[in-house]
Amino acid sequence: MTETLVFGDLLDGARAFPRRVALSLDAPHLRLTPAEGDPLDWPVRALRSPPDQAHPTDLVLSLADDPVTRLVIRDRELAERIRATAPALHKRPPLQNTTRLIGWSVASVASVALIIFVLVPVMANQLAAFLPPSGEKALGDTTFEQIRSALDDSGFDPVPICESPDGSAALAKMEARLTENLELPYPLTVRVLDHEMINAFALPGGYVVLFDGLLDVAEDPDEIAAVFAHEIGHVVARDPSRMALRSAGSIGVLGLLFGDFAGGAVVLLLAERLIQASYSQEAEMNADIFASETLAQAGISPLGLARIFERFQELGGDQPTFMDHFMAHPDLMSRIERAQDTHTHADVTPSLNAAEWQALKTICD
Amino acid sequence: MSDALGTEFVGRKGPYFWLSLKTGVLTILTLGFYRFWMKTRLRRYMWSAIRPGGHPMEYLGTPLEKLLGFLVAVVFLAFYIGIVNLILMFASFSLFAGNGAAYGLSFVGILPIIFFAQYRARRYILARTRWRGIRFGLEPGAWGYAWRAALHWLVTIASVGILFPRQVFHLEKYRADRTFFGTQRLHQGGRWQMLFPAMKHLIIAVFLIAGSLLAGQNGDQVAFFSLPLGIGWLGYGAIYFRVESLRLLTDHKTLGDIRLQAAPRAGQVMKIYSVGYLIVYTVVGAGFFALFILLFAGFMAMIGSATQLDETFDIEMIQALSNTPVWLTTILTIMLYFTIFLMWNVLSQVFVGLPLAAHYAQTFSVLEQRHLTDVSQRPRDEFAEAEGFAEALDVGAAI
Repeated sequence: MTETLVFGDLLDGARAFPRRVALSLDAPHLRLTPAEGDPLDWPVRALRSPPDQAHPTDLVLSLADDPVTRLVIRDRELAERIRATAPALHKRPPLQNTTRLIGWSVASVASVALIIFVLVPVMANQLAAFLPPSGEKALGDTTFEQIRSALDDSGFDPVPICESPDGSAALAKMEARLTENLELPYPLTVRVLDHEMINAFALPGGYVVLFDGLLDVAEDPDEIAAVFAHEIGHVVARDPSRMALRSAGSIGVLGLLFGDFAGGAVVLLLAERLIQASYSQEAEMNADIFASETLAQAGISPLGLARIFERFQELGGDQPTFMDHFMAHPDLMSRIERAQDTHTHADVTPSLNAAEWQALKTICD
Repeated sequence: MSDALGTEFVGRKGPYFWLSLKTGVLTILTLGFYRFWMKTRLRRYMWSAIRPGGHPMEYLGTPLEKLLGFLVAVVFLAFYIGIVNLILMFASFSLFAGNGAAYGLSFVGILPIIFFAQYRARRYILARTRWRGIRFGLEPGAWGYAWRAALHWLVTIASVGILFPRQVFHLEKYRADRTFFGTQRLHQGGRWQMLFPAMKHLIIAVFLIAGSLLAGQNGDQVAFFSLPLGIGWLGYGAIYFRVESLRLLTDHKTLGDIRLQAAPRAGQVMKIYSVGYLIVYTVVGAGFFALFILLFAGFMAMIGSATQLDETFDIEMIQALSNTPVWLTTILTIMLYFTIFLMWNVLSQVFVGLPLAAHYAQTFSVLEQRHLTDVSQRPRDEFAEAEGFAEALDVGAAI
């Protein structure tokens, strides 16, 4: 042959020393001739090349059933010819460990599910009962301030608290009527926030927070009393404390699972949202039952509960504006029916008189 | 005849950009699960770009073993993190009436596991790296590393950072002395005190900042000038320490009779960082600006068409606009977030990661290389857990 000799570096995988070999491609073999010793014939169909190589022209070759031996070819022309003739250069090695992979996948999904849906909720429920009132209050204080700052969308001040003297007196009267027959773990802290959201919520440590938007849409004091009683139900059940402990546990686990592929934060928030909503279903039901019983005991018409839910619906329960409320409050219709069922024609008096109601409605002015 | 092997670097921005963009998009589309493939492919490219003596390094880790290792880690860590966080939160509010203690404790509690994970990740990466067909390796010793690292950190903190070089030296020695190339054990020589001079720019910066703060308290105008200078100097000091300590530690490493040599320059590394991040910020910023202009133009066009229809522009239009379904705006926001995140990652890989690797590679050489003929193969380290713990905790498993 008159062809000029082409060389490559053979790394035999036994010693860190490259052997210079003369190469000739003569299908079906690539012949490697060392300076001393017998030539090696590599079958062209068994040639493999690792993917994602940085060098644009050099070719690194290996053999299908040999994990360590490598041949580095720098000659462009030969590299091109091998690329053109070798049929399975980029074929991947067969999968290994598939059963172990499936086994551990199932195990990890099961353990995460077990932790998020069983262990963390059970522990949160147990521990919430042992949380000392001062600890719960601290948790509530922190969360309340965080919420005030988070709700403020324009300026730099947290959302103001409304406390006109007459309005506060009316609110205190309503609180007294609702709680006189109740055994509370700690005194309530009732706040009205000057924000147009039509909502109310409870926080750890006896916080009940009403929004001015809710006072605006309510047409009589019993509707507010109903919402108030519902939130007291959450306080008595210590739902907010459970929620806080529970999210402390599950957020970390979810972060672990999704990793940091995109800050992880978005997926985390969505997933956490789902978990909280499903948690709320049962708690909301219990709070409604508690509310209707408390209203009846306090001599206030439980129909307020039905009316305020209807009000939410008239305002368009499916409108995105109220999404925040309804994502946490499931299935309004069935709740209205339940509230109407509990209505008895026993002696009831309005929760506030007309003057007090006016004062409460204008507590933010 | 010099008996030294230099290192060439053949990675290029173009192919690396497309590879990281492609794998980044797939990672986002698969909610993060493609990240094991992404990491494997980027490493394969980067390793093959580094060629001591003209022979490419080879990365042989597989995505599936990373996935498996991650799943194993999740089984153990989910329990630890879920329960421990919950208990810490409870304890912190019961005993300290605040959540600051919980975050602090939770971080301290996870630290030994982070050190453990870092060592395991290094073991995995070395076990899957080959050069000239010979495997690297790291002996088991992750727990020993974890408690040593924890103690060294305590000492460093107690000494207000003065003993930091001691920590850097001893931890590197622990790792290096357990590292193998084939049958040959790596040895870290030198003393920890040799790293002190590498601290000089950090010390200058600390004095500058302290002086500025003092001057500022006395109302001296010079603080306006010297404080930013001090902060800039601190950045340079940190880079200088990293580069210099790496150089000194490498120069004192031996592999049998083979010696290693590194000559990275702090000025060059500083330049790569500043120019690289300037480009990244500019491109991402320009993208942001273009998007803003597009949205603004769209908004103006809507108002324009409304006025043509002889409707008065009033507040209701804004309201109509703000009634765009929440899911739509949410999806748009999430997409925007991911796009920015992706571009940020890809560009910093290409304009900072790649040039840095190039500089470190090109300034690295192997001396007395004739002794490489003494090195022979070591057995494969199966190590099926891979870098799962580091991956799950998001530490030390970066490419």
